[in-house]
Amino acid sequence: MTLWFVFALMTAAAAFAVLWPLGRGSRALISGSETVIYTDQLAEIERDVSAGLIAKPDADAARVEISRRLLTAADSTRDAPSGVSLGSRRVVSVLALVGLPAMAAAFYLPLGSPHMADVPVAARRGPATVNQPMDNLVAQVEAHLEKNPTDGRGWTVLAPVLAKLDRYEDAARAYRNAITYAGETSDRRADLGEALTGVANGVVTSDAKTEFERAAALDADNAKARYFLGLATEQDGRGADAAAIWRAMLAKAGPDAQWRTVVQQALARVGGAAMPPPSQDAIAAASGMNEGDRTAMIRGMVEGLATRLKADGSDVEGWLRLMRAYMVLGDRDQAKRAEGDARAALGADADGLKRLDDGVKSLGLNG
Amino acid sequence: MTRKQRRLTMIGGALCVLAIAAGLVLNALRDSIVFFSTPAMVSEKKIQPGTRFRLGGMVEQGSLKRGDNLAVSFTVSDGSATLPVTFKGILPDLFREGQGVVAEGAIDPAGVFKADTVLAKHDENYMPKEVADALKKQGRWQEGADGKPVIGVSDSAQPKPVVTQ
Amino acid sequence: MIAEVGHYALVLALALALIQATVPVVGAYVRDAALMTVARSAALAQLLFVLVSFGALTALYVTSDFSVVNVVENSHSLKPLLYKITGVWGNHEGSMLLWVSILALFGGLVAAFGANLPLSLRAHVLAVQAWIATAFYLFILITSNPFLRTLNPPLEGRDLNPVLQDIGLAVHPPMLYLGYVGFSISFSFAVAALIEGRIDAAWARWVRPWTLMAWICLTLGIAMGSYWAYYELGWGGWWFWDPVENASLMPWLSGTALLHSAVVMEKRNALKVWTILLAILTFSLSLLGTFLVRSGVLTSVHAFATDPTRGVFILLILCVFIGGSLALYAWRASALKQGGLFAPLSREGALVLNNLFLTTACATVFIGTLYPLALEVVSGDKISVGAPFFNLTFAPLFVPLMLAMPFGPLLAWKRGDIAGASQRLMAAAIAALIAMAVLWAWTSGGASLAPLAIGLAVFVIGGALSDLVERTQLFRAPFATAMRRAQGLPRATWGTVFAHAGVGVALIGIVCETTWNTEYIGALKPGGVATVGGYALRLDGLTQQQGPNFRAQIATFSVRNGNGDEIGVMTPSKRNFTARASSTTEAALLTRGFSQLYVSLGEVTADGGQSVRIYHKPLVLLIWFGPLLMAFGGLLSLSDRRLRVGAPKPAKQARGLQPAE
Repeated sequence: MTLWFVFALMTAAAAFAVLWPLGRGSRALISGSETVIYTDQLAEIERDVSAGLIAKPDADAARVEISRRLLTAADSTRDAPSGVSLGSRRVVSVLALVGLPAMAAAFYLPLGSPHMADVPVAARRGPATVNQPMDNLVAQVEAHLEKNPTDGRGWTVLAPVLAKLDRYEDAARAYRNAITYAGETSDRRADLGEALTGVANGVVTSDAKTEFERAAALDADNAKARYFLGLATEQDGRGADAAAIWRAMLAKAGPDAQWRTVVQQALARVGGAAMPPPSQDAIAAASGMNEGDRTAMIRGMVEGLATRLKADGSDVEGWLRLMRAYMVLGDRDQAKRAEGDARAALGADADGLKRLDDGVKSLGLNG
Repeated sequence: MTRKQRRLTMIGGALCVLAIAAGLVLNALRDSIVFFSTPAMVSEKKIQPGTRFRLGGMVEQGSLKRGDNLAVSFTVSDGSATLPVTFKGILPDLFREGQGVVAEGAIDPAGVFKADTVLAKHDENYMPKEVADALKKQGRWQEGADGKPVIGVSDSAQPKPVVTQ
Repeated sequence: MIAEVGHYALVLALALALIQATVPVVGAYVRDAALMTVARSAALAQLLFVLVSFGALTALYVTSDFSVVNVVENSHSLKPLLYKITGVWGNHEGSMLLWVSILALFGGLVAAFGANLPLSLRAHVLAVQAWIATAFYLFILITSNPFLRTLNPPLEGRDLNPVLQDIGLAVHPPMLYLGYVGFSISFSFAVAALIEGRIDAAWARWVRPWTLMAWICLTLGIAMGSYWAYYELGWGGWWFWDPVENASLMPWLSGTALLHSAVVMEKRNALKVWTILLAILTFSLSLLGTFLVRSGVLTSVHAFATDPTRGVFILLILCVFIGGSLALYAWRASALKQGGLFAPLSREGALVLNNLFLTTACATVFIGTLYPLALEVVSGDKISVGAPFFNLTFAPLFVPLMLAMPFGPLLAWKRGDIAGASQRLMAAAIAALIAMAVLWAWTSGGASLAPLAIGLAVFVIGGALSDLVERTQLFRAPFATAMRRAQGLPRATWGTVFAHAGVGVALIGIVCETTWNTEYIGALKPGGVATVGGYALRLDGLTQQQGPNFRAQIATFSVRNGNGDEIGVMTPSKRNFTARASSTTEAALLTRGFSQLYVSLGEVTADGGQSVRIYHKPLVLLIWFGPLLMAFGGLLSLSDRRLRVGAPKPAKQARGLQPAE
């Protein structure tokens, strides 16, 4: 409502600017004229002569010339604007009062979005924080690190969180800083490589590959580094070499290694060997966190994801991820509830619903 | 001098200056402009060694070699033909393998393009217009929604690290 | 609400411009003073609304409102405040909004300070100004609207191209636009004169301050742009004959010609038809510059993301305004009365010569810029016209211009005494010969052109000083008299002296930089030493540093002069911006007098060396110091009291117009 009021005020001001001169009589009107300029030029010659800047004959010639111009100008002085065309003034008044608002409306209404409120970043980060503890926390840590960019421990904490939030670019930066300020470790190098891979949508770029190679150089048994090096080889089109790398990993590892299934799955993909059915817990398993940390992290992530989906429910993959996460946390009821929410949010999106059904089936939620 | 004579003097002077300028322009246009070619056009038009021109195309993957004393060599390709290029000096910030490039120089008798300038780009999305046009003609250029070349990433490569558990 | 208020204000400005474009013309036709005065209040209101609109867009950038598409595409919430603000005009839509804001600003200034103009002339000038404004408001609203919203605001923006995150961007484009758009006033005056069918010496004086203002801004804008390219692009070049640079040089050349021909018109009532044509051409070239940058017909550093509809729209504006004004010119110019007579050898003659060379030089730049386009359309061949072309055409035309330059101010109006002028320039000529001889001996037969060019520059500077000496009669009259005379000199005369000397100063810088520039390009390992121009630079070490949104590789050089004394430390760096996967080179500069040492980094070589470019550029700063002098001369001239007379209420209004005092 305020907006329309402001618009009305602005329109009134514009109309007033057009109407104002019409209402004033002609007495207040100032009009310059050529004669003033020529009179001044004559005075200028007098000054130049008295200062000795020009010679007397030149001055006389100039004076004659300017006087002639002055006379001509005085003769043909623009006739004082005497006309008062009431008819035209009336037309202009109508133009200002009707035409101007109409023109403004005709342009603004198809182009503008008067129903939309402002969405400054500050406002979004402010009140929204109540619903988004995770984002808020991250923002706080980021703000802290912006002021203290050499806090290596801070970067170490932040980096994996950013990676989980899919903010791979920021995560890569954070890992780099962690390496710079908290020291280089094999894990950090490998994590950095993973983040860079995330940036490239799953392609192990040469930058990422360099990081994995460094990680492997620091610790030849770093599972993540070796897994991704295998992946890089696969993406280079050398499936057999990749399989060799992964087979070597499996041979070396104990049967209880958390990343076993991931590697087996990958091996199956390149046709290296038939392996047990795929399991969903791919990357996190390889990251080798301890159980407590991981559960805490997941709870945080799940809450963030749930909030995001509440705001924008069109993300089928997101819903599936959420349900899967509840299942893993052993909370079947929550998962069911999430499925209901997803169906409600997707509404008429037939394609989305179909994908959701497929996903739910593979989760075994109904079974 | 009468008014007419003065006028003629001035017009004559102006014409003289314009004639000189026209001469300078024509002379300069003959000697100091450089044409733009892609490797395919080089063989097609049989450009003579020693003729300066601008070579445009993509830097071929894996072709960049650095030698001593800032000497570099790489291969420029336009999809149908390639041309080896040598250059001595510092390459611009955004010079990459697999990216568009424009080099200025001439072919030596051995058929190697000796560049004395490799043009800097100022934006990672920027593709020299000549190169884009030439590649488009050959159907090698797919334009994405935002004008970037589309890089195909097969889905099988690797699911991106997702938030599972 | 901010976005919508800004959007609506822009629409209202369009509506007001439409009224301002028509009502005053009708008013002048029926001779109704009130209707003519509508131009004034409408222009002021239009300025107000455009400022609201521009302010709103700035506020949206500052608060990072990502519901506005333009903000999303060009900003980032973590960007420093300064770059959030400069980011407003770092993109196509925002810079067009700045363009119309400046257009409205000039309209508003004419409305506010144009009280010394005859009412009908003012009405016509403002109406023509509103025609231009209407065209550009429509362009912005239809093809480049900065206020469009998105229903799903993303959490973060896409950031600004790192090359553009620089203080140079904060000042260079606004300055350039002030120049470009400022010439719209001369254009409006010219078209108004053609409509009214009368033009006389007074017209030239009314236009002069506006032309001068635009010229000063354009001079500074071009100089800043050149310095920015010099230190930001990392290869030490300061002028590339890039099409967009040429686009700003062309209006400068014809604008300079306009300034000079307007003097003839003001003093002698001559060259009227020519001056009108120059005013039209100058603004047409400004419009052409806008078209070249926006339409995507040229590729260049400066080209914004382009879109064919925009190009077509601007081409349409270009055709309507250039074609329309030239048609009007062809139709009405013959009706204008002939002016005063003069001999070829006179001040007028010298100024005609100046105009001749400046416009011809402008024409060669025009050909060099547009010939490749024309050829591609006609034959499909792609060519590039670079520095060699301009060196062969532009430079030879500037030599006679500079030779004649010192003579102009020494010649009398109407009929000049060339022998007398030569005599008075004897001192300058001798100084030039000495400079040539000394340089010749010193460089012992190196580049033979350079001493000649330096001699020419010394002649120009000496000529400017001779003019001053002549007018104050220094060395002839007692010192006190000379000082008194110096104080009595019109400021415009001082302005001429400074501006002409500035040309000479810039030429010295250009010649020294291109001739005696020494460079070292190679790879250095820590501890390695490179010797350039008598200075020894030792690479002390390489470090990595983390910036807010980039990683920097920093090299530290300690610099020693010929005596082995350490004179400074230079730290060039290379920044990698991960977000856009791009890098920039930050050159390090060490200034010694007017000379500079320049270091920029290349990549790291295979054997662990750091490749570097090191230049020693003697007297390079004079290249930009010259334009500064020219602009200062322009300011002095602008503050001349003669430009202020004639207003019915002179004292009050003059002060507002002349901030330089």
